[in-house]
Amino acid sequence: MTTRVPTVKDLRVKLCYICREEERADDPPSDDPPREWTHPCNCTLIAHEQCLLRWIQTSQSTASRAPNALKCPQCGTAYEMESKNTIVLRGLALGNKVLQRLGRYLTVAGVASVVAVIGTSVYACLTAYGAWAVKKFIGDEMFNLILTDDPVNWPWSAYINLPLIPLSLIFARFSDAGTSMIIPLLLVWPPSSPVGDGGRRLVEYWTRPENATQLASASASLTPSAKYWPPPPVFFGLFAFPFLRVFYQRCYAKLYQRLLGTPLPVPRRMQREGLRFDEGPFVIRIRAQFDDAGGQGAGANANAQPPEGQDQADAPAPAPAVAAAADAAAGDNADPNAAVVQAAEQLIEVDASSLGRRIGGALVVPVISSIVGGVLLELARHSRWLRVFLGVREGWHMPLPPWGRFALTASDKTWAQMGTMQQARVAARILMTAFLGGSRTWIDSDPVWWRNGVGFALFVAVKDGVQLLHLWLAKRELESRRVKDRDFSGVDVRELDLLPSFFRRATP
Amino acid sequence: MASISSRRLAKELREIQSEGCPVGISLLEANDFAKWLFTIEVMGDSVYQGEVYTLQFRFDSHYPISSPAVQFVVTDGKEAPIHPHVYSNGHICASILGNEWSPVLSVIAVCVTLQSMLASCKKKERPTDNDRYVRNAPENPKKTLFHYDGEHYNFKSTYLQD
Repeated sequence: MTTRVPTVKDLRVKLCYICREEERADDPPSDDPPREWTHPCNCTLIAHEQCLLRWIQTSQSTASRAPNALKCPQCGTAYEMESKNTIVLRGLALGNKVLQRLGRYLTVAGVASVVAVIGTSVYACLTAYGAWAVKKFIGDEMFNLILTDDPVNWPWSAYINLPLIPLSLIFARFSDAGTSMIIPLLLVWPPSSPVGDGGRRLVEYWTRPENATQLASASASLTPSAKYWPPPPVFFGLFAFPFLRVFYQRCYAKLYQRLLGTPLPVPRRMQREGLRFDEGPFVIRIRAQFDDAGGQGAGANANAQPPEGQDQADAPAPAPAVAAAADAAAGDNADPNAAVVQAAEQLIEVDASSLGRRIGGALVVPVISSIVGGVLLELARHSRWLRVFLGVREGWHMPLPPWGRFALTASDKTWAQMGTMQQARVAARILMTAFLGGSRTWIDSDPVWWRNGVGFALFVAVKDGVQLLHLWLAKRELESRRVKDRDFSGVDVRELDLLPSFFRRATP
Repeated sequence: MASISSRRLAKELREIQSEGCPVGISLLEANDFAKWLFTIEVMGDSVYQGEVYTLQFRFDSHYPISSPAVQFVVTDGKEAPIHPHVYSNGHICASILGNEWSPVLSVIAVCVTLQSMLASCKKKERPTDNDRYVRNAPENPKKTLFHYDGEHYNFKSTYLQD
């Protein structure tokens, strides 16, 4: 005999744990249709099916409550749901969940790709600028040999070096080193060997039988001066250039002291005021820290001045700036000359401190080099001396292949067939070419880079000269300032307390 | 026909009036089925000895499917108890008022749970993020998504064993 197990239908009093309504078996409610009861768990709680379903449904739609939705709040037994939960519905629900997760990945991927796109375009712009700058600096002919306009031909290093060019140009402009860093930067390129098409063209040209015979005479016919002048770019950039730079700076400092009567100040504006740029109505200020109150006063006063478009020569000097600058200078430097120079510098600075002007100035360097280099070439037509100095090669001819004759003749013998001396020579030559560059192709080509470099150096010298002149004139203007003295015409003489000598002279 | 919400509240109110509240809890005001007020006091030894607080319940039309909005009254000179889970604006961080609310609970059950929450407190202190929370808190505590830690589960299970 089996024990009968009671169900919800056997209860005398039913109490819904959700709505708390009671139903007695001897007093059935008049509801139509009658409300179903359910006992979903292992404890004594029972509920209207409708109430429970509503509770479960509400709970399931709140993420934080969902885990407890299908559980008895008292005994914790999991409710078992029976529904038309077909495979299709379950598949759809699963699909929905998968899509939700995919969507989240997609969001991340989307943000990442936006960042990547922006980064890539910035990179592309920087690289394009770098290629353009190199082209301007070393000339079209050489550019077509070592880089070409087609990025496919570029060596992998170009993808690192080229975008660094504009960044370094701009950075150099804001560091103490100034524009002097730029030339070595552009000279990184010359030692590289011809790439892609250019190189192939070169090798093809010189391997043609009719040209190959000329190769020996061609390399022999290089005049001694052409072999050693202009100096190989890498040698020049690494060794000669820093030396020249120090020499130039010394000369400049001497000239500065002689002209302005005070030593060239150590660059210190950076530490004292930070960087300041006047952009018309805006003032961008990158402030470091103030050493002293004097510097602060000078900075603040300079700020108060009218921003751009004033001609220095006849603009009335804003007195506070001069006074404050003089004070500042007096604090750490008793030289009155230095104070005036500093004041003059400040006056000029007000007009020359636009951020755009600095960056634009940095990025336009290759053009300036190219233009001045072109002017030099034009001048060289009329001067033999200049022609020799610039190393201008007459007429165009196919430049020699990178390693000279060796590039073409090495294939005659294999490494094993060579003698020890020959092997050593080949190895040394490879090393030299790899490190020092100035490969034959470069030596033999028209050295556009050299005249552009010289051109840029000239430009820098002239620019410094003009700046110095400007400073000198501004200083002279400040020193020569007098307020014009006038007599008392138009003033009633009786209002003035005058010396008796005046009346003695006034009466005839 | 009255809604489920008001029928259930009416029944709870009848039970309170006929059977009375548990010790330390008394009904202060229940003029409608939207807002009820209780006074609550911890009996026996506790850090809140002799202090009486006012508890406010607000019900929406989905009660008991949706939980009541419960908080301490902090107006008219009344104050919220100083407790690690009670903010100075009266809001209470308790799981049974949030994700562990269940229709099996009732107004009195909530009162008893909160009373035991106070009774088990050893040290009077405000929640660590009190200032930040009170500055930005919504008017209705139900709109806050509290993060519950272990202690709440402890007092919840205490209630369910009763």
